[in-house]
Amino acid sequence: MRRLALAVAATLVLTACGATAEAPSPQEAKTLTLWHYEGPDSAMAKAWAEAIKKFEATHPGVKVKFEEKGFEAMQKTASQVLNSDAAPDLTEYNKGNATAGALAKAGLLTDLSAEAAERGWDKLLTGSLQTTARYDERGIMGSGNWYGVPNYGEFVMVYYNKKLFEKAGLEVPTTFEEFTKVMDAFVAKDQTPLAMGGAEYPAQQVFYQLALSKAQRPWVNAYQLYQGRTDFKGPELTYAAQTMADWVKKGYISKDAAGLKAQDMGDAFMAGKFPMMVSGSWWYGTVQSTVKDFEWGTFLWPGSRMAPGSSGNLWVVPERAKNKELAYDFIDITMSKEIQNLLGNSGGIPVAADTSAITDPKSKELIENFGRLAGQDGLAFYPDWPAPGYYDVLVAGVQELINATKTPQQVLDELAGPYNDNLADVGD
Amino acid sequence: MRRGALTASLAVLALAMVAPFVIVALNAVKSKRDYTANGPFSLPEGLSLEAVADFWTRVDFGEKLFNSALISGSVAVLAVLLSVLNAYAIGIGRVRGRMWVLVVFLAANTLPQEALVYPLYYLAKATGLYDTRLAVIIIFTVIQSAFGTYLLSAVLGQFPREILDAAHIDGAGRFRALWSVVVPISRPTLSVLMIFFFIWTWNEFFLPLIFLVSNDNQTVPVVLGLLQGEKMMDATMSSAAALLGIVPAVAFFLIFQRTLTRGVTVGAIK
Repeated sequence: MRRLALAVAATLVLTACGATAEAPSPQEAKTLTLWHYEGPDSAMAKAWAEAIKKFEATHPGVKVKFEEKGFEAMQKTASQVLNSDAAPDLTEYNKGNATAGALAKAGLLTDLSAEAAERGWDKLLTGSLQTTARYDERGIMGSGNWYGVPNYGEFVMVYYNKKLFEKAGLEVPTTFEEFTKVMDAFVAKDQTPLAMGGAEYPAQQVFYQLALSKAQRPWVNAYQLYQGRTDFKGPELTYAAQTMADWVKKGYISKDAAGLKAQDMGDAFMAGKFPMMVSGSWWYGTVQSTVKDFEWGTFLWPGSRMAPGSSGNLWVVPERAKNKELAYDFIDITMSKEIQNLLGNSGGIPVAADTSAITDPKSKELIENFGRLAGQDGLAFYPDWPAPGYYDVLVAGVQELINATKTPQQVLDELAGPYNDNLADVGD
Repeated sequence: MRRGALTASLAVLALAMVAPFVIVALNAVKSKRDYTANGPFSLPEGLSLEAVADFWTRVDFGEKLFNSALISGSVAVLAVLLSVLNAYAIGIGRVRGRMWVLVVFLAANTLPQEALVYPLYYLAKATGLYDTRLAVIIIFTVIQSAFGTYLLSAVLGQFPREILDAAHIDGAGRFRALWSVVVPISRPTLSVLMIFFFIWTWNEFFLPLIFLVSNDNQTVPVVLGLLQGEKMMDATMSSAAALLGIVPAVAFFLIFQRTLTRGVTVGAIK
C-alpha cells in the first residue's frame, strides 16, 4: 500500500514536471498567443476565428495559439498574468478607467499610438469610439496614448415585440410623446410595457438614458471624463429620477422588477411576456437565435440624440508580450473590411465595415442605428463608469426609486456622495 | 411516533440538500429554448445532452479532469506523507517547542488564501513555477499538511507507548518504528486524511485560478468559471458545466465512502 502510494506520488510529480518542461520557448517556435472571452456563438468569436485563419494564411510558419478565457477570471487575474512571462501576445480586455485604464497606468500595456497612426486605426475609429481606446497617465480614458483597439461597438436600444404591438394596434414610436402614449396604451390593457431588471444593469441604463435625453455632450464629458462638474441636482438627473419614479407609478415598469436580474428580463422578453425591453446590443444575437414565436425589431430611444453605448472591448498588447509585431498584424486583420463585414453579418456591430456588404436586413438596421448614433456623437458610455464600485451604488439607488422607498431627491443625494468622493481621488 | 417525526425531518433535510443538485441536473439536460420558455424550475421537455457535450468539447474537459486528478492526487499523497513525518516528530518524538510549532501551523491554517496570493505569486515567478501545475501541487501540499500535521499530532500524541517500546526492544530504529508500526496502525486515519485532501484540493478555485494561467494547465473548478459572462449567462451550459464539475468529486466520495466511515468510526487507535 505505502509503496504503491509512494510510486503514485513520484509518477504524478514527475508527470507534472515533465509537462511544464516541454512548454515551447517563444523564441524558437513562432507562435502568436491570443486570448479572448467571447462565447463561441457570438459575432465577435466568429469573426475572430476567421481572422485567425486569415492570419495563419498570411503568416506562413506562425501558429496561432488561441485560448478562450472567462470574463471573471480575466478581471481577477489580469494584473498578475500580464506582469509575468505567461502573458499572451494579444488579449481582449475590458474598456474603461477601472480596467484597461488601470492596466495602462500600471505600465502593463503596450503603447499602440505609433501603430494606430501608421496602420490607420485612428482614421477608422473616430469620436466616442476612440475615447475608450486612449488613456492618459492617470489611467483616465479620452486622451493620451492608444492602449487598445476596439473591433466592435455596442449601444442601448429598445427591443420590441411586433406581435404584441400589432395585437394592440400600435405603431413604433418616433417621438418621446408617442413612446409614452404607446406605454399608456399597453397599461390600459393591463400589460406592463417594459421588461426590466432592477437588480442589475438594465434599470440604471434606463435611468441614465432618461438623463441623456435631456443632456448635451458637455454634460456627458463632465460626468464621464471629469471635464467639469456634475450637478446631481441639475435638470438632467432630476428629470431622470423623477421620471423613473413616475413610470413605476404609472405602471410602465413593474414594482416587482426591483429584484429581477438582467437574465430574467431578457428571458421574460424572449418568452413574449413584455412588448418592450430596453437593453444593449449584446442581447441581439441571443434574441435572434432564441425567439422563434414572434417577430421582433429594435428602435433607438425616441427623442434622444444620445444613448448609453461605447466601443466594445479592446485588443490590448501586454507590455511583456513576446511577439508584438505579430499582435499588431493580427489587430490589423481584425480591422480589415473582410473581418468587419463578417462581424456585421453575424449579428455584431462592426466599427469599420462596408454597410453595403451587410446582407442580413436585421443586422443592417442594427448597424445603421449604431452608425446614426455614433455619427451624431451620441455614444454616452455607461452610468457606472466614472467611479470604482459605482455600479452597486446605482443598483441600490434605482431599486429605491422602483420600490418608492426613497424620494427622487434622496436617491440623487445618495448617488452624488460616492461620485464626488471618487472625484477627489481621481488620478491618485 | 417519535421515529416517524425523525424520519420525516431527515427526509426534509435530505430533500433540501439534494434539491439544488436536482435543479442543476434538470437544467443541464434542457435545450436552450426550453429553458427560456419555461424557466429554471420546470421539468425538461426532452432529454438534450447538447449543452453537456458542447461544454465538454469547448473546454477540452478530459484534459481538465486529468489536470485535476494529477494535482489532487499528488497533493493527497504528498501532504499525507509530510503530515505523518511532521506528526511523528511532534506527537511521538515530542520535539522541544512542539506546542509552538502546532500553534504556528494552526495560525497558518486560519490565514485566508487571499492573503497568501501575492507572496506566493512573487515566489512562483522568482522560481519559474508560475503557470505550472507543480506550483499548485507544492502550495496545496503545504497548506493541506498544515492541517494534517495538526490533526495527526493530536492522534499520534495518544499513541500507546508500550507498542513503541516493544518495537524499540525488538531493535527497530526510529524510521522502522514509523513505517512498520505507527503508519500501519494509523492507516484508517491516514486514508481518511488522504481522501479529504483529495476532495478539498479538487474543489479549490481561487489559487488555481491565479496560478494556472494557460488553459492546458487548468483544473475543473477553474474552467467552470469560463462561463461567467460579462452581461449574460448561458444557464443551460452553466448547469451542464456544474454537473460535470461535481460528478467526479461525488463519484470519488462514493467509491471511498466505506473507507471514510470506517476511518471516522475507528477514531482512536486501539
